[in-house]
Amino acid sequence: MNRTATLSWNRVAIYAALIFFSLIYLAPFAVVLLNSVRDVREIVGSSAIGFPKELRLSNWSAAWNSYCINGHCAGIAPFIWNSLAITVPATLISTMLGALNGYSLALWRFKGDNFVFALVVMGIFLPEQMKLIPWATVLAELGLSNTAMGLVFIHSIQGMSFATLFCRNYYLAIPPELLKAAHIDGAGFFRIFWHIVLPLSPPILIVTVIWQFTSIWNEFLYGVTFTSGEQQPVTAALVALTSQIAQAPEFGIQSAAVVLAALPTLLVYIFGGRFFVRGLTAGAVK
Amino acid sequence: MWFKRVLPHLVIWPPLAVSVFYVVSYTLWTTWLSFTDSQQFASNNWVGWRNYASIIGQSKVHTAYTNLLIYGFGFVVLTSLIGLLLAVLVDQRIKAENLFRSIFLYPMALSFIVTGTVWSWILNPGLGIQKLVRNLGWTDFQFNWIVDRDMAIYTIIIVAAWQASGFAMALFLAGLRSVDADIVKAAEIDGASAARTYVSVIFPCMAPMFVTVFVLLLQFAIKTFDLVWVLTAGGPGIATALPTLVVYDYMFERGQLGRGSAAAVLMLSTLLLVVVPYWLWRRRRATA
Amino acid sequence: MASFRMRRREFLIGSAAAVAAASGAAKAAPQPRITVSSQWAAGNDGKAMDALGKLFTDAGGAWKHNPVPGGTSGLMNKIRAEMIAKAAPAASQLKGPEIAAWSKTYPTVDLNGIVAGAGFEALMPKEIVDLHKPFGNWIAIPAQVFRTNTLFLSKKAMEKVGENTIPKTWDDFNSLASKMQAKGIATPLAAGGLAWDHGQKFEFALSGISIESYRAAIMRLEDDALKGCDVLDAFKQLRRLANFWDPGAAGQHYSVLMPRFMSGDMGIIMHGGMAEGVAKFSGFSPDDYLVGNTPQNSGPPAFDLNADSFIFWQQKDEDLQEGQKLLAKTVMSPAFGPAFSGITGSIPVRSDVDMKSAAFTDNQREAARAFSEAIKNKTVILSLGQNMAQTAQITSAMLDVLAEFVSDKGMTAEAGQKKLVSAVADNR
Repeated sequence: MNRTATLSWNRVAIYAALIFFSLIYLAPFAVVLLNSVRDVREIVGSSAIGFPKELRLSNWSAAWNSYCINGHCAGIAPFIWNSLAITVPATLISTMLGALNGYSLALWRFKGDNFVFALVVMGIFLPEQMKLIPWATVLAELGLSNTAMGLVFIHSIQGMSFATLFCRNYYLAIPPELLKAAHIDGAGFFRIFWHIVLPLSPPILIVTVIWQFTSIWNEFLYGVTFTSGEQQPVTAALVALTSQIAQAPEFGIQSAAVVLAALPTLLVYIFGGRFFVRGLTAGAVK
Repeated sequence: MWFKRVLPHLVIWPPLAVSVFYVVSYTLWTTWLSFTDSQQFASNNWVGWRNYASIIGQSKVHTAYTNLLIYGFGFVVLTSLIGLLLAVLVDQRIKAENLFRSIFLYPMALSFIVTGTVWSWILNPGLGIQKLVRNLGWTDFQFNWIVDRDMAIYTIIIVAAWQASGFAMALFLAGLRSVDADIVKAAEIDGASAARTYVSVIFPCMAPMFVTVFVLLLQFAIKTFDLVWVLTAGGPGIATALPTLVVYDYMFERGQLGRGSAAAVLMLSTLLLVVVPYWLWRRRRATA
Repeated sequence: MASFRMRRREFLIGSAAAVAAASGAAKAAPQPRITVSSQWAAGNDGKAMDALGKLFTDAGGAWKHNPVPGGTSGLMNKIRAEMIAKAAPAASQLKGPEIAAWSKTYPTVDLNGIVAGAGFEALMPKEIVDLHKPFGNWIAIPAQVFRTNTLFLSKKAMEKVGENTIPKTWDDFNSLASKMQAKGIATPLAAGGLAWDHGQKFEFALSGISIESYRAAIMRLEDDALKGCDVLDAFKQLRRLANFWDPGAAGQHYSVLMPRFMSGDMGIIMHGGMAEGVAKFSGFSPDDYLVGNTPQNSGPPAFDLNADSFIFWQQKDEDLQEGQKLLAKTVMSPAFGPAFSGITGSIPVRSDVDMKSAAFTDNQREAARAFSEAIKNKTVILSLGQNMAQTAQITSAMLDVLAEFVSDKGMTAEAGQKKLVSAVADNR
């Protein structure tokens, strides 16, 4: 940790290692990007790894708005809007409720709060496959079957487990003196939440939002099962694309679609990555 | 005013109650089903331990748990090692820290469907690396782990580690940055080398973070489904079966909800084996 | 005129409110309406569904196809969720013994009257009829038939070994494949690496050795037959086959290998008629390969049957009930075969369809001829790999064993057979 040495061998080694790892991390993405402008026959004939002989930019436009997925020839674009319409509200709701849960569990201690917390957190360990039929039953009872609202509902509730875990652990670090002082001033549950806890929350809320957004965006099993046709999220469309392989492997269009479908979460991580680490440092997971 | 006193309760309890109820009821319901002869739908015919007896005898289930052992251990160790190394590298006051961090973190943003598809191209001997090298002229080159029943599970470890090590890096980086700077400085003044400082001063300070990383990665490993589904579909043969795939297979491919539930309960019990000790450890730490 | 009719049809499909507002007459008799859920999302399957949709709308119905990605389990998960919500689709794709299994879980439509009216039952073998009226009533309608045990030989590969005859018995087959290996075709058999594909190879082997043993062991699950020497021989043949195919195809769909087959880098495909559709899709013509049935050691060849069907779930709405009747009629109509099978490469269910129609290829005609021949000879059997012989739970258990057997070259045929017997016993 020599601050003064600007370019010692040490530094060279560090950058060399970083660049080496970067290349490994980027390689699969590069493969997809290159394939997205290659011709199918070229890919099948040579290898899935390679430079395009000629640029097939048409793959991109086809993937975006004209390729037939599941009988709808409008590309992947409508599915991306569907996913946004599901992911954004579910992320906001689960984060909000999780913050509230975290607040009451961390700062309004009650008898057995640790046990309650343990039960809530157990939610993150339940495998998706196991919850499929219970969710179907709940959605049916609520009349939300086969609607995007149903998915928002599921993800809002499931999402609370992780959101509660993150927020509760973060709020534990708020000095109790602060709350005591507020209490003495006569501030109640909501006042303390609004004026003390929430202003301190941005780092953890950002972590939670990033986490929820990516996991809801990338969820597939419920998306396929609980919506149909034109309402399906983008992961369902991607699976439909991959299963089309039986007829004609459209690696080029598939690659372009894969990149398009991943863009929102990629952007979230690229622009939010800095806050993600900062929020974790501030005590999201202890 | 009574309303003012009641209102907080009205706000606190519903979300808590819902999150607890959802976890408890789904778990209990699955446990109940595991003792019934449920097929496509839930039935209430009690069959005792029959479902458990049946699945415990299956070679696929044995393979799945052996694989989970190999995969869980390999994945957690490899991912933590790479994550720690990357965190230390990124923590060297480097230029373009944002860029490097984003590069290491981006796989976490992708769905397993995506990464699984891409890696299946790369690893497929007829399409990926093997084909590429052979096309370049080295015609005997072999890289066919994904279709080799003894090696396939290791390729899944590699792909999963690629995907998750950035996340481990982020956690470790957070750990590194919360270590008291004075302690580090003191070690430097004592003349300890950088490597020594890390191993004997910094890492011990962030021991809790190690545990957190292990536990998060382990639950991730146990829940792995999509990745394997897309990469190998559990094959070749049944060589890469994992407990989640067994649950899915019984519940939905075969329409044997009872047996599938038994498999799910077994899986949850494995999870508890990991999580309960962690909790006890945390509580001891909290009270100490 | 045509354009006017088009517009009118589209108009009718529009919201009921709009129709009601536009004309009082539309209210009197509800327009038949249908929602069909299937896995047929893409390629030829998707096109064939569109063709069915066109027949249906031409007959005056409002059509909605709802393709579900994620294979059979994906489709059935979706339908299960809809059943829990008491909102099953009016019709959905389902096949084989699963028709009987699922019909116990949700009320189905009694189609007896419509089927009798169409004189449909007399046009097909008992094997198909039994699957669609499992408990005495017709509840599902078969849409198309495939012969899964079709043998394709690459002409380029055949030239390399100087052969042009289709092998008759498994011995002929093995010597042909060995010859190809000797001539540098390292893996002559183009086989996919998925469990159902392995299952098909096993059923070809067993039914080619003895049709009676196949029926007893696989279709009736008789213990003696399962433990018998024909099943053991089938395991041995499966091992030989596994040694002829490329283990690098593990996890891959057979269609990925099509270019290698056509170029003569591989020589043999054993698969249903849909392989022809795949070949066409990849830009190859029927002149590039020879077609026959997979080897049969003695007697007339087996016809290894795969059939796709639609099952009809009870509905409350009158327009959906009308739609179900109309769909059943449409699928049973003589016009359906050429329109649907013409695209997918299958054989029409009705034995009275004119196969001379330009909609069919020579190979489809040959398969149709083999089908009627097999009905006469009583050599129709139901495919294991295509989920026709057993319910999903037994099929999956058996396929697990077969997939494990082919991937583990150290496992003996005897050990494989033992595992198969216990898998069946455990899931019966």
